[in-house]
Amino acid sequence: MASLLFNIGKYFILMWRVFSRPEKFSIYRKRFFNEMVSLGLDSLGIIIIISVFMGMVITIQTAANIDSAFIPAYTIGFTTRQSAILEFSPTIMALILAGKIGSNIASEIGTMRVTEQIDALEIMGVNSSAYLIQPKIVAAVLINPFLVIISMFVSIGGGYAIAMLTDIVSVTDYVYGIQYDFKPNHVVYAVSKSAVFAFLFTSIPAFQGFYAEGGALDVGKASTRGVVQSSIIILFANYIITQLFLI
Amino acid sequence: MIEVKNLSKTFGDRKILDDISSVFIEGKTNLIIGASGSGKSTLARSIVGLVEPEEGQILFDGRDFLKMSRKDQKELRKEIGFLFQGSALFDYMTVAENVRFPLDILTNLSKKEKEERVDTVLERVELSHAKALFPSELSGGMKKRVGIARAISPRPKYLFCDEPNSGLDPQTSIVIDNLIHDITQEYNITTLVITHDMNSVIEIGDHVLFIHKGVNAWEGDKTSILTTEHQNVIDFVYASEFMKNLRKK
Repeated sequence: MASLLFNIGKYFILMWRVFSRPEKFSIYRKRFFNEMVSLGLDSLGIIIIISVFMGMVITIQTAANIDSAFIPAYTIGFTTRQSAILEFSPTIMALILAGKIGSNIASEIGTMRVTEQIDALEIMGVNSSAYLIQPKIVAAVLINPFLVIISMFVSIGGGYAIAMLTDIVSVTDYVYGIQYDFKPNHVVYAVSKSAVFAFLFTSIPAFQGFYAEGGALDVGKASTRGVVQSSIIILFANYIITQLFLI
Repeated sequence: MIEVKNLSKTFGDRKILDDISSVFIEGKTNLIIGASGSGKSTLARSIVGLVEPEEGQILFDGRDFLKMSRKDQKELRKEIGFLFQGSALFDYMTVAENVRFPLDILTNLSKKEKEERVDTVLERVELSHAKALFPSELSGGMKKRVGIARAISPRPKYLFCDEPNSGLDPQTSIVIDNLIHDITQEYNITTLVITHDMNSVIEIGDHVLFIHKGVNAWEGDKTSILTTEHQNVIDFVYASEFMKNLRKK
């Protein structure tokens, strides 16, 4: 318990240093745009692939589980849209990015720590935590909502493809379903939580990498810890945000 | 000039530095030698502020580093160049970008001035041809030379080199040693070299501090170290059978 509290305190102290005033904005600006590409655009492919299959599977599973004549067919489109917007696109994508981006961040920063590159920054008078971590967090928080919105469209598009290619639901019913009882605040909720998740899946692995000690094995362990902890905390944060926004 | 007074540092219940005092002279290559685990790296890291000592004073030309505010310490660090044991080059930057990085961060030089400075220091370490290469494409000796170029690019007043010869063959080691020695004299900087390589001591040891179990056990230069009667120094210098036989002769 003492160790947990110690690490939570250490995490907040690190975040305080991360968001202190940068030495030179021009250096940070360059790093920020590089991170936008590396954390955002480079993740677009996997987001699209997962989202399209996710949308297709939700549509098929919903159709397969509706066998009552009293439930209208458009429910399939409605369920696909609601599932994608409320949960699958923001949360599942965050968990996937926690694995992809989180392990990358922890191992990159951890390797810099054990090869003395972070010490080199400190000697030069650079706030190493701000220089290395701040652009990653800011880039992810800004770009993740866009990735999630793309994921929503692609998931719903995956369901539309099923409607077109199979006869489990007509295109007309599906399109009616995805437009039925649309609430814009659900998108606001999803986008908001995607920004929170982005903060978590970048800052927690960065924390683990920043305090890595030893050699390659320890960097690997730090990377695993970063992914596992950020995934668990994302799920916990998901519960809290849902309770606050939707109930 | 860097002056260390009564410096002590403990890790857990192990005293790594025990009341160390010494003066490192400007324009000279000051070597800190000793066996592995003797505390020489901790001493260097304490002097630059990477490790916080419990007691003592560290004076950079009379300025007490440990009594300064964090802001002033940060400012003073801008006068320090550090060559790390593993070179610590930034993997994602080319050689030229690595050398330019401290200039981007620490100075307000124009783009052209920075380019000129990068060219000058890379020429000095004979690596002008490697500007566009990444650290992964360099040999161990080249990495050390880039590390030196990066350390001296902002024209530091103090240069620290942690085991600059580790992992290098004897010939390349001598090239690196002489480069450090020449740069020290050319730029009139205070250089501290942490090493356990006796070749370096004989080659460039203007001032040698021998640390034994965290204590300043002996001080002298490259000539006097060969003739001292201090038993710990004799055990260190004449560790091999070859050296023992040489001493007998």
